[in-house]
This record gives sequence, C-alpha cells and structure tokens, in this order.
Amino acid sequence: MQTKIPSTSNVMTTLLRADFITQWRNRRSVIMVLLVPVIIVISWKSLVARLGGPFVLSNCITVGLTAIGLMGYTNSIARDRDKGIFQRLRVAPVPSWSIMMSRLVVQLVMILLVTLGVFFAGYYFDKISMPMQGYSLAFICALVGGAVYLSLGQVIVGLIQNPETVSSTTRLVYFAFIMVGMFGELGVLGKEIGEIVKWSPYGAVKRIISDSLQPGAWNIHSSIALLVTFGYTMIFSVLGINWFKWNSR
Amino acid sequence: MNDNGQATILQVEQLNVYYDTFHAVRNVSFEVRAGEIFGLLGPNGAGKTSTLAAIEGLLQPRSGKIHVAGYDIAEKKKYARASMGVQLQATSFQPELLVPEIIQLYAGVYGVEMNKQKVDSILKEIELSSASSKRFGQLSGGQQQRVSLVIAMIHNPELVLLDEPTTGLDPQSRRQLWERMENMRSKKHGILVTTHSMEEAESVCDRIAIIDHGQIIAIDEPQRLIDLHRDDPKVISVSRRGRITLEDVFIGLTGKQIRS
Repeated sequence: MQTKIPSTSNVMTTLLRADFITQWRNRRSVIMVLLVPVIIVISWKSLVARLGGPFVLSNCITVGLTAIGLMGYTNSIARDRDKGIFQRLRVAPVPSWSIMMSRLVVQLVMILLVTLGVFFAGYYFDKISMPMQGYSLAFICALVGGAVYLSLGQVIVGLIQNPETVSSTTRLVYFAFIMVGMFGELGVLGKEIGEIVKWSPYGAVKRIISDSLQPGAWNIHSSIALLVTFGYTMIFSVLGINWFKWNSR
Repeated sequence: MNDNGQATILQVEQLNVYYDTFHAVRNVSFEVRAGEIFGLLGPNGAGKTSTLAAIEGLLQPRSGKIHVAGYDIAEKKKYARASMGVQLQATSFQPELLVPEIIQLYAGVYGVEMNKQKVDSILKEIELSSASSKRFGQLSGGQQQRVSLVIAMIHNPELVLLDEPTTGLDPQSRRQLWERMENMRSKKHGILVTTHSMEEAESVCDRIAIIDHGQIIAIDEPQRLIDLHRDDPKVISVSRRGRITLEDVFIGLTGKQIRS
C-alpha cells in the first residue's frame, strides 16, 4: 500500500465535473433562475423607450444575479452541508478551498448564462442593441456583481445551520431585494428609499452593469458604485467565511 | 511495530478534545494494527464521534498525538488522510449523481485512475451491476453501505474508519458487510469501527475499547473482557440470560442510564 496524493488540478477537474453534473440534473431550478429575468425583459418591452435599454437590461441581470447567489448557491451549500457531503469530501486529501471553489465556478458559469440570456432576449424581443464593448464590460461587471450575492449567500449559510430555515430566509431576502430594489429604483417608494436603494447591493450592482453597457456614460458615480460593490463583497466574504461551519451538527 | 511484530496503522496518544469548556475526550490512547478490526464502543455522547473526527483531522484536539500510517495528522494531514478510507454515518453523497459517477468522483479526489471498465468491475464485485443507472438515493440501505464501503476502500488505504456501518441493515446485509470487513482484515488493512452492536463487536472485532464520558474504561479482546468482568457484581446485576455477554459487560461498566 502506498500513499498517493492527488494533484490539485486533478481534484479540481473531478470536483467541477461532479458539480456541473449536479447542476445539470437540477436543470429545472436552473431554468427557473434563467427564466425570471428573461420574462421581465420581455414584459418590460414597452418601458424600453422610457427607461432606456441599459436600465432594463441591468435590472433584469441584477434580478438573475440575486436569484443565483441567494437561491441557487446558498440552498445547495446548506443542503450539502446538512447531508454531510462536505464532511465526506473533507476527509479526503483535498484542500477545503477547492470544494468551495468548484461550487463557485459553477455559479460563475450560471451568471454568464443569465447575462447572455438577458442580452439575447433584450436584443430579440425588445430590440435593445448595445456596443460590443458594452456587452463585454457588462459581462465582467455581472461577475463582479454576482460576487456580492454569492458572498451574501455565504453570510446566510454562515449564520443559519438548518437548510429549511436557510431556504425560507433566502426567499425572504430575495423577495425584499427584488421588490424594494426594483420599485425603489423606479421611484415608487419615495425619494429617501430611492437614495438608499441606489447604494444598496441591488442599486450598486445594477448601476455598474447599466453604466458598463454604455462605456461612454461611465462617470465618478459609476466608479463609486464599483467600489461600493467591492466593499460589499469584501465585508460579506469575510463575515461569511468566518461564520461558516462545514458541519451543521 | 508493536510487541507482537504487527505494524501499527493508527496510533492515538493522550488525546484530549474540548468543545469550549466541555472536555469531550480525556486522555484517550489506543492503537490499531495492520490486519486488525478494532471496535470503539460507547453510549451516545461518550466521545466516539469526537475521537473519530480528531483522527480524520476534522477537529483540532487540545492535546495529544495521532499518527496514521506513520503520518502525524497535525503535521502531514494530506498524507494521513490519503492513508485512510472513511465511511461516515450519514449517506453523504450527492443525491443527483449516479452510482458510477460517485465512484468516479471519489476515485478522482483520491488520485485513482478509474475508467468505465474498472467502475463496471467494481459494481460487479459488490453485486450492484444493475445499479449503474441509479442514483445513490434510489439504493436500499444495504446497497448504499456497499457503495460507501467500496468508496472508503477505493484507494486501498492502510486504515479504514467505519462509523456505525451496520446501523439500519437487515441481518443478511449485516453478515455480508462483516464478511467484507474480514476480507479487508485478511488483506492487512487496519480497521477502526464504531458500533452500538455488541453482536458485531463480539463477532468481528479482534479487540475493543469501551469509551464512556470521554475516557477509555476498558480495552481488550471481546472474550477476555467478558472473562475479566465475569465476576464483577455490576456486570452480574445487569445480566439477563444467566450467562455473561459482552453487552452485560458494556452495561455493567457504563451504567444502565439512557444517554441522550
């Protein structure tokens, strides 16, 4: 019997393969995550002329990012922790970070899919067309913005152990973000709420995506929103990683 | 090597585990040898799982040393983990994955080459060829245990940790699992098994340790433990069938009180 240590690249490949298969087998929930922002794009067709293409696209992408981070990622982590899947993987000679990294890569691919889906639906149904540079920058900003919600999800699974409580909490937070975020942005909830929403995780992420779609319009407020987005990610990541326990028992 | 010339696969020395101020494992020491099935017995909350978690490197002990196949778990965690195979209590595999996919996943994380033919031959060996298109959650309890065991052994480890492996199994599946454990023993693997089943401990374990309130209170061969405590009044008082069994010794030493 000889002790063999697997290479980190082989471990990552194996974990990624398993995590992508798992995601594929859960395609019903994947479709739901993709469908909601796409449906909003289509249903907001009449608002494009009034609000502008970047506003509509960025709002829908932000809704998708919120769903990925708060619903998909968070609930899968809570479930797998409760079932002891992480514990089983951690007793193997694999670095703990690789287990989480593999999960995050799958979510990053989901973010790209949602962004692509919204762009495609916006172009096909609403006739929204942006410069190629804008699309490319928006992809990057979507990844940066997605990190806010993934790290916020990490905070939730760090604070709450029970997967059912995690599920109901994420639904509540998701609903609150979407409702307050969308209506606040539209000014329906008053000026003060509108101002708070502007610098909330919803507003900051929405702003960087919206402004990146039209690179010429990027200004000091866009840069501040980008810094705020990084700040949220940093704070949520530090808290989420510190509070996270691999075992729910 | 120990005094009998057998290689020591697992060495636990003066292990102490705390949860904040609660002293869960107190100066626990024992060894598991190559070709030995070692049973760790204890009531609920006695410290079995904490001891196991420390051996697996999932828990940082306050003091003490653990060596797996010669590797210090605190210093060479990766090597120690690569030298052990683990079967956990919970059905801890992704429910979306098919059985062959789970085997391939764990082969990959232990650095074992695994192609389809090899997976098929493993499934055939554990009489689960028909399960190749099934998900783990669709298998019966006995079938799940067979898959768990095959994964624990996938990298041919020197030490195998089995956490209550026969819980919930029917007698046929239990017997089959014991045969597999004996087969592993014959191939010189060291096996550490935690169990609540005195029948299991008596039938398959070469040596057992009884742990209670975090301390090992007895450690020996099952029959020798029975012989040693045959005349103990506490053991005689709990005997039910006129002859002393391992269960009588266990209850006599750990008490009749139900633990949470």
